[in-house]
Amino acid sequence: MTGATLIAREEWRALLRNRAGLVATALLVLLVLVASFTSLERHSSIEADRAHYQATVDHAFDQQPDRHPHRMVHYGQFVFRPIAPLAFFDSGVDSFTGNIIFLEGHRQNSANFAEARQSSLLLRFGQLTPAFVLQTLAPLLLIFLGFASVARERERGTLRLMLAHGINGRELLLGKLLGHAAIALAVGLPAFIVLLGFALAGAAAWPETLLMLGGYSAWLLLWVLLSVSASALVQRPRDALAVLVGLWMVVVILLPRVLPEVAAARISLDTKIETEIVLHRELAAIGDSHDPEDPYFNEFREKVLAEYGVESIEELPVQYAGLVGIEGERLTSAIYAEAASRSAARESAQNRFVHAFSALSPLLAIRQLSMTLAGSDAGAHSDFLQQAEDFRYRFVQQLNRMQAELLPGISGEDPRISATYWQDIPRFDYQALDPLRRQEDILWPFVVLVGWIGGLLTIAAFAAQRLERIAK
Amino acid sequence: MSDKQQHSAPGPAIAIENLQHRYEEKAVLHGLNLDVHSGEIYALLGGNGAGKSTTLAALLGFIAPSAGSVRVCGIDPVTEPRRARAQLAYVPENVSLYEHLTARENISYFLALADAGQGTDRRTDQSTDRIEPALQAVGLAADAWDKPLAGFSKGMRQKTAIALALARDVPVLLLDEPTSGLDPRAVLEFNQLLDTARERKVAVLMVTHDLVSAVDIADRIGFLAEGRIEEEQQASAQSVRFDLNALHDRYTHPGAAA
Repeated sequence: MTGATLIAREEWRALLRNRAGLVATALLVLLVLVASFTSLERHSSIEADRAHYQATVDHAFDQQPDRHPHRMVHYGQFVFRPIAPLAFFDSGVDSFTGNIIFLEGHRQNSANFAEARQSSLLLRFGQLTPAFVLQTLAPLLLIFLGFASVARERERGTLRLMLAHGINGRELLLGKLLGHAAIALAVGLPAFIVLLGFALAGAAAWPETLLMLGGYSAWLLLWVLLSVSASALVQRPRDALAVLVGLWMVVVILLPRVLPEVAAARISLDTKIETEIVLHRELAAIGDSHDPEDPYFNEFREKVLAEYGVESIEELPVQYAGLVGIEGERLTSAIYAEAASRSAARESAQNRFVHAFSALSPLLAIRQLSMTLAGSDAGAHSDFLQQAEDFRYRFVQQLNRMQAELLPGISGEDPRISATYWQDIPRFDYQALDPLRRQEDILWPFVVLVGWIGGLLTIAAFAAQRLERIAK
Repeated sequence: MSDKQQHSAPGPAIAIENLQHRYEEKAVLHGLNLDVHSGEIYALLGGNGAGKSTTLAALLGFIAPSAGSVRVCGIDPVTEPRRARAQLAYVPENVSLYEHLTARENISYFLALADAGQGTDRRTDQSTDRIEPALQAVGLAADAWDKPLAGFSKGMRQKTAIALALARDVPVLLLDEPTSGLDPRAVLEFNQLLDTARERKVAVLMVTHDLVSAVDIADRIGFLAEGRIEEEQQASAQSVRFDLNALHDRYTHPGAAA
């Protein structure tokens, strides 16, 4: 057995005889397990609820009677965002973003019914998910277990004795790192087993699962390196504890809250009211299809008549109002799309700002990686909104085309088309964003985590060299 | 090959020549010359700041001297610290072992570290073969062997540390204030242990303030002052080996007899 493995084994023996450390570790392991199972339970319940309500509203849509197609445009459709399989591990922004959108003609509605708004106040402080425990609480435990790993050896004189027995600083630090890395693995193991079980059961894809495991392993290793290196660099255990808790507060609590605030201050987004005012003005500028003097729609009418080779609206083989509906929807959707694009560009700039500074706070890196792989980040939510909008546009335009093409053949004051047409309209089929195609959101966090680990290994190597000098 | 390592190189087991060392601007050792032979107990006396601890640090290879040379069994601890440390056992002033481990576990762990440091990997039972005789030799009660050190008295801790040094079975023993805090009976037992070490041809360098203990056990006594040996006395073969009164005057009035 090498010196490093002997020292690692001794760290484990010390942990097993340290009642406070053992209790804290057992509590965290228990917390990870509780978080995993309650999160899975919540995930299943949400998934079942959404599937149930989606089926209910789809059925209600199918059961609509014979109607004028434009009434169906306003009857609209509700779509529910399906929850991603790994969102049980990291619920990300899912709880704070709306998950239901009412799709109708002429306007884009925002998503509603965020979990946090429907639940007790407690949920607003963050859900108990395995990701939350591993990101926030596990580093604290690793600090608690590691802050004295080397400093206490120095303080009680065993460091000098170990060196006198032929162990060098490098072996000593390697042993401490191995011992505490194994402890970190034990802390993360319950969550990792749940993840692997999920993948084995076919409920989650292997690449995402393995990348998640790799990311969290790197995150925990980073805190082991930080704890042991700080312990080797300072004279007394209490100094190491003060430094490490300070770092935890900055890296885990302060920077992840300050940086988005700074980003929001530097690159501001319009408020909802500001956005609606701008949209209202732009929509009003399109023109009024009912106004015979409106220049845009006069030109449109002339273009349609020319296209069909007729002199008047009455001679058209299609219903003119349906064509106006198609054109109006095209114009309003373009305005909404432009507004969404402006807003998305600003959000993207904010995210880039925060991403760039995630080099300072690796929590931002692991959080982004975790949410991306879990399909619960802002990017996945935006993608859902975009797919819902694309579907809304196709759905409304299909009804407008029905109005234009089917109504001229139907007589009467209240023309209607058959209910079977509603049943033929395709339903919203959300295709979840493939995390592996979002290379920047995966690669950059790994670059940050590996960069931190590399930097800390360099510091650990320096600390190992200093150990013998300190021993005198 | 026997576990017992013998110093077979010609010359003294500990050889310090013209050793000089500075801490920042302050000279701590000023041309120290000292040698200790196999089977010899050398007591190095000196006041606070005389350079005793620095001398031990140099032998352990923890410092690189400004000038001069240090050899442990012919090995330079600065350039070959691992080899040099394999030749010596060190008992610090404040016994620094693990409180949560038993006496047996502490010795077993440090023996395993020493073996790993030398690139050997002895079996546990071989370590046990070395541990129990050492614990018996230091007179630690057998019912204490498997109790955590947290409940040990200073004397019991000292015995555990010395048992570790004996179990190492090395040719050089470095002791830093070994009798500090021990009661007279424990000092007597300790001196008997050193007698055993001498019989085993171990070279013992004992850094101490305890003149009485040094007189009782040492073969030579050196007075360290301002980083060099100011005076050295050899035990006579007669029943009164040292003149304690003269030594006491010399110790309490440094420089007067030089």
